[in-house]
Amino acid sequence: MSGKVITITSGKGGVGKTTVTANLASALAMMGKKVVAIDADIGLRNLDVIMGLENRIVYDLVDVVEGRCRLRQAMIKDKRLPELYLIPAAQTRDKTAVSPSDMIVVCDQLRQEMDYIVIDSPAGIERGFRNAVAPADQVIIVTNPEVSAVRDADRIVGLIEAEEKGPAKLLINRLKPGLVARGEMLSVEDVLDILMIDLIGVIPEDESILIAGNQGMPVVLSSANGTSAGQAFRNVAQRLEGQDVPFLDLTPKSGLLNRLSSWLNKQS
Amino acid sequence: MVAQTEPQISIKGVREGLLITLGNGVYADILARLEEELTTKQTFLQGSQVILAVGDRALRLAELRDVQQMLAERGLTLWAVLADLPETRDAARQLELATRLPGSQTDLEGNMLETAVSPSHTPEIEPPSANCLLLAETLRSGRSVYYEGHVVIIGDVNPGAEIIAGGNVVVWGRLRGLVHAGALGDETAVICALDLSPTQLRIANQIAIPPDEPARSPIPEKAFIKQGQIIAEPWQIRK
Repeated sequence: MSGKVITITSGKGGVGKTTVTANLASALAMMGKKVVAIDADIGLRNLDVIMGLENRIVYDLVDVVEGRCRLRQAMIKDKRLPELYLIPAAQTRDKTAVSPSDMIVVCDQLRQEMDYIVIDSPAGIERGFRNAVAPADQVIIVTNPEVSAVRDADRIVGLIEAEEKGPAKLLINRLKPGLVARGEMLSVEDVLDILMIDLIGVIPEDESILIAGNQGMPVVLSSANGTSAGQAFRNVAQRLEGQDVPFLDLTPKSGLLNRLSSWLNKQS
Repeated sequence: MVAQTEPQISIKGVREGLLITLGNGVYADILARLEEELTTKQTFLQGSQVILAVGDRALRLAELRDVQQMLAERGLTLWAVLADLPETRDAARQLELATRLPGSQTDLEGNMLETAVSPSHTPEIEPPSANCLLLAETLRSGRSVYYEGHVVIIGDVNPGAEIIAGGNVVVWGRLRGLVHAGALGDETAVICALDLSPTQLRIANQIAIPPDEPARSPIPEKAFIKQGQIIAEPWQIRK
């Protein structure tokens, strides 16, 4: 059995790569998969905080690469899900401490025992980005429905094509259906019109993501299981597993809240 | 006009960047000539990735480093050295430069290279209409295409991408990035696209920013210089 390496990247910072990584890794683990999340943002680590595992860090990715510990020792077991692990980034080093070939070696080892290896890429297109993309089987590009984020995502699509990493998939994060309806935000179609790559998910703007992140608990795991963002992440995980899941209907017709609650009622 | 006895160099836009071919002659003369040539064309060329074809000339590490330095001073990045002699290739590798190009278009045995070295032509007297670069792909943000002749894109030119051409530019798709046609000064150059909504257009020395207009259904348009200004008109077949 060989695991699949999925790299989450974006070019622009602040679009929600780390949140997506944490939620996607958790959603896959909830489906009973063995998952390890790797924070490749060396020097500015965040994934451990979002996953609420910061205080358990003993060894990190740089320790593994430089041979100070075994791979298994750097894998922090999640508090809630039995088959979810995190390999944190080093906080005191920089991106040059790890090379793309180091990442390939680490991921090849992990593939043997895990189903999914989800890598959180740093922003930018430099060394850290190349580290994160080098071992990838599938690249997911996260963007917001904003002109600047889409511009950077376009650049990343080009770079991924040049690396021959196969067609990247697009995840649109923080969509506000109300604004789109009023023509004040780029719609999913507007974004796809520029990027022209396959869409794997659309995550609506949802306060519960911020709240869950601050509590160190990815929104897919939080008790308020009915959040639309949580459902959207679970759908993305199912699509990665090859299931054909319809996209959430995010068009507000008789007000967004009504729309979502009627949809939720349908689900339960 | 360039006399036959002048040292020969050729500068040519290829898919992988700017191909500079050093012809026969005294090395120091050739370098001086190259320096002069690059200085006069600096604004057009700068930012290019340079492939230096040195033929059977034996160049040491220090000499290559000097060329690299000279190019860098003019905003050019040397990334590949094509050489017949293994020792020159070794020196290039020590500078972490490529010594062959990916794909067959311009590799060591490639035709592109041969046509470029033909001894009697220099870039000034070569009419741009002689060359055309055809790219069947979408140029995404961050892509730069520099070419001395005409450029035809089958695909879109996205915002953040740029094309700088000595001749005309035709985009069989949506043009939303930046295009500079007639970049060597040809005011008759035109820019055509199925949907002409660029960030900026330049023809020869003119620069135009498209007016803010409400969303419209795209029509093919052609931009050209009329009375000293860039204008765009629907692209029509004359009967």
